[in-house]
Amino acid sequence: MGNHQLASLIKMANQIAANNTHIGDDVAEAKMVADHLRKFWARSMKAQITEYLESDGSELSPIAKQAIVLL
Amino acid sequence: MLQHFDPEKDYGTPAQVSENLVTLEIDGVSVTVPEGTSVLRAASEADINIPKLCASDNLEAFGSCRICAVEIEGRRGTPASCTTPAEAGMKVVTQNKRLGKLRRNIMELYISDHPLDCLTCPANGNCELQDVTGEVGLREVRYGFEGDNHLSAEKDHSNPYFSFDPSKCIVCSRCVRACGEVQGTFALTIDGRGFDSTVSPGQKQPFLDSECVSCGACVQACPTSTLMEKSVIDAGQPEHSVVTTCAYCGVGCQFKAEMKGSEVIRMVPYKDGQANHGHSCVKGRFAFGYATHDDRITKPMIRDSIDQPWQEVSWEEALSFASSKLKGIQEKYGRESIGGITSSRCTNEETYLVQKLIRAAFGNNNTDTCARVCHSPTGYGLKTTLGESAGTQTFDSVMYADAVMVIGANPTDAHPVFGSLLKKRLRQGAKLIVADPRRIDLVKSPHVETNHHLTLRPGSNVAFINAMAHVIITEGLEDTAFIAERCETEAYQAWRSFISEDRHSPENTASVTGIDATELRGAARIYANANNAAIYYGLGVTEHSQGSSMVMGIANLALATGNIGREGVGVNPLRGQNNVQGSCDMGSFPHELPGYQHVADDEVRARFEAVWGVSIDNEPGLRIPNMFDAALDGTYKGMYCQGEDIAQSDPNTNHVQAALRSLECLVVQDIFLNETAKFAHVFLPGASFLEKDGTFTNAERRINRVRKVMPPLAGMQDWEVTQALSNAMGYEMNYSHPSEIMDEIALLTPTFTGVNYDRLEEMGSIQWPCNNEAPDGTPTMHIDSFPIGKGHFAITEYVATEERSTRKYPLLLTTGRILSQYNVGAQTRRTENQAWHDEDVLELHPQDAEDRGLNDGDWVGIASRAGETVMRAKVSDRMQPGVVYTTFHHPGSGANVVTTDNSDWATNCPEYKVTAVQAVKVNEPSQWQQRYHEFNDKQLSFLKEGREKKAKARD
Ligand code: SF4
Ligand code: SF4
Ligand code: SF4
Ligand code: FES
Repeated sequence: MGNHQLASLIKMANQIAANNTHIGDDVAEAKMVADHLRKFWARSMKAQITEYLESDGSELSPIAKQAIVLL
Repeated sequence: MLQHFDPEKDYGTPAQVSENLVTLEIDGVSVTVPEGTSVLRAASEADINIPKLCASDNLEAFGSCRICAVEIEGRRGTPASCTTPAEAGMKVVTQNKRLGKLRRNIMELYISDHPLDCLTCPANGNCELQDVTGEVGLREVRYGFEGDNHLSAEKDHSNPYFSFDPSKCIVCSRCVRACGEVQGTFALTIDGRGFDSTVSPGQKQPFLDSECVSCGACVQACPTSTLMEKSVIDAGQPEHSVVTTCAYCGVGCQFKAEMKGSEVIRMVPYKDGQANHGHSCVKGRFAFGYATHDDRITKPMIRDSIDQPWQEVSWEEALSFASSKLKGIQEKYGRESIGGITSSRCTNEETYLVQKLIRAAFGNNNTDTCARVCHSPTGYGLKTTLGESAGTQTFDSVMYADAVMVIGANPTDAHPVFGSLLKKRLRQGAKLIVADPRRIDLVKSPHVETNHHLTLRPGSNVAFINAMAHVIITEGLEDTAFIAERCETEAYQAWRSFISEDRHSPENTASVTGIDATELRGAARIYANANNAAIYYGLGVTEHSQGSSMVMGIANLALATGNIGREGVGVNPLRGQNNVQGSCDMGSFPHELPGYQHVADDEVRARFEAVWGVSIDNEPGLRIPNMFDAALDGTYKGMYCQGEDIAQSDPNTNHVQAALRSLECLVVQDIFLNETAKFAHVFLPGASFLEKDGTFTNAERRINRVRKVMPPLAGMQDWEVTQALSNAMGYEMNYSHPSEIMDEIALLTPTFTGVNYDRLEEMGSIQWPCNNEAPDGTPTMHIDSFPIGKGHFAITEYVATEERSTRKYPLLLTTGRILSQYNVGAQTRRTENQAWHDEDVLELHPQDAEDRGLNDGDWVGIASRAGETVMRAKVSDRMQPGVVYTTFHHPGSGANVVTTDNSDWATNCPEYKVTAVQAVKVNEPSQWQQRYHEFNDKQLSFLKEGREKKAKARD
């Protein structure tokens, strides 16, 4: 596992979260983000971001974190 | 469409549409036509062919030559039949002694000032002047050439594709009218009066220096050889023709490829082409020479490393080399370590086959297409809001629009034939709103008034579209009945309260968008109050970090105002390449099987698995940018790339090239050694659109036939190559014709079940969905309901891009296209289109230029956080201060060295339209350019070495 993909994945997850934080209900927002990741991300990408959350996760936004837990 | 009349015939004046029919008698024959039809056309429809010269059925009647004179009972004189409307009860005589004499007198005058070199004239065999002279039976010309004449008028050969020989001109004005009425450029006028009148481009300029855009409409309209294709002058008249579809842009113009044996002599836009109705642009009509260019590669080649010369080999050897490498990689790094890229330039059948190869033979979903980098947000945004990943209208629908909003698109350059149709509607009085940072040509086109040009700041699209919606909702301009009947109530209420918030008002967003609030309010009122309002958008909408949000914002606007589901309205993405729509439809995306069916859906997969005989992975695969990242991380090692040039077209070239270098096996299938192929290990020679059968789907979801007019130079059509690669990989495919592939597509794709080659032959083209519910296809979508039931208002929060101007990078760079070049330019750079644009330049506002001491033509270095390149400066008041612009048609200009890897949040479509840069005056190419030239020279020498070695071995 290298850094290129992980750096991109963190950026993407945060960006997806930022574009879905308008509902004012973080459970619903996290669910929308999780649905998006499930639908569009490859297996390896989901695995890698989950692993990152478990090992560190510091660069992920709060909604992105909550969403990844749901994967 | 069923042909009720012969599409090739020229009926003299345009067809009329009217409920009221009139019946008249022509030469004793009773004829019934719609009211408003000319006598000339009425006769022609009854196969009574009155001679004509200045009339043509794509132009309004002009009545200048008088050769079409007839007698009408009860009327004095001999009226011109082209300008006389048919009336009920009229009795018309088209041939008698008096008319014969009159016509001979007219022709005598024409011929007395016309060179009599018919036998050696390029129009010989295809000249209306000759034909009419024959029809009227002219036998003698009493006036000699002694008097004043035009026989020695000077020729103009400045246009690379056609010549102008004024000595043959009969001043019928057909060219002038074609340039105005059909093309909308108004480059030609008749200069002078009477005997002195001549056709003049611009201000008596040579064609090339005038505002002529070389569409060729005038050449096609000219009844003599005055305006004539140089290819016909050189080769003579063609002997047979085949109808096929243009392989350039998403308009999908149909052409008659006029041939001599297997050589294309000229392309004539097909009158019955349902997207173009006999019109075309310079690319489709003239820029086909690349297909037989010397740079075509016609032999398969292989090499172990990109630091080695190429080796020409047989097809068998190349395919077995490729398959064993790819299989070896999978054994070593796992099933998901390889993938492929389908092409928006290839046919539907070819695209379908590549994704099938990846899913079935590679056993994963690592398939993506270049639509990723252009219209993937359209797919996401329209599917979320309207339920289908496609535009809603036909092109012709624009003729019913009362207000048109063009956002981030440049139709007169990138979709020229649609641009001409749009301009026609605007000349009839439809209102126009343009939202674009740059003053595109449309804003200032002849006889068109732009009501509002909203010069928004790059990156502020969503703030802009939200402000439009805010005005509509807070001023009560929404269509409440449509919303109540056709849209989800809960989502609408949520959106309504979101969009009504004061922070979205034009006044409160002006600091972000840079748009004057009064202008924006005016535009919103025009859009909302028009009976029919239509939105056309391009890559200026999608290629942003919020591309998908913007597409949804556009759909929200159309839903809120009820501008969906009939002619004249809609949400219309203008697709860049010929088959962007098709490549998306055909399952190129890693998460969707053909017909936008998600791979995680068990029922869907089961249907595909039953036909394909393999199991399909239920997880999405990697997208192009993810592939590059994975390649750099060492988990993605092999790739099959058909007909795409990701090394030039994708953003952040340095990153892309590093990823390509890290691959162990890159298989490229293309007609040229493109930029990507320079990093490849296997080169499989492809076929141009002239060498294959198949279909393209244009931006109106119209499936058009592509027909082979010459044999493939390398011996195989692209679908045959994919099939052979699949067989070499051990997954059997044995189609004998692309029609069989289409049958399989129809079997598995619910929106295509009614599509097959016989139906395409019969109807000319079909707009999907075409199935039991819509057996003849669907010109207008969402008439009664949406595929998701009700329209869905999506909340579109504006999130500023991370890419913003700073002290270090104070300018915003945005990229785009130009008329004469196409995409990465691999095709158009190998044609005479170079005469118009032989290098990419950086356009900048006079103030920004002055601040930097830059003049037109100076070398300017452009640097962003991603990289640096050098181009020539072009000072232009089209730009707003702080915004600079360039194109990416030439690889050496390195536009994408500067663009970054920022992308759309939902689809990873790159943010080509916003890059923070600095521009400075320099006097040498950038380091990247120096490295590029070295690498390029080396790769070209590897190609040459391989070819020479093979030639030697053959001797
Ligand atoms: S080529 Fe097209 S633009 Fe040029 S003069 Fe002829 S009609 Fe006009
Ligand atoms: S150039 Fe051709 S079309 Fe134009 S006025 Fe002369 S003869 Fe007619
Ligand atoms: S490039 Fe587009 S507009 Fe031009 S001829 Fe081809 S399909 Fe038509
Ligand atoms: S064709 Fe009718 S006046 Fe020329």
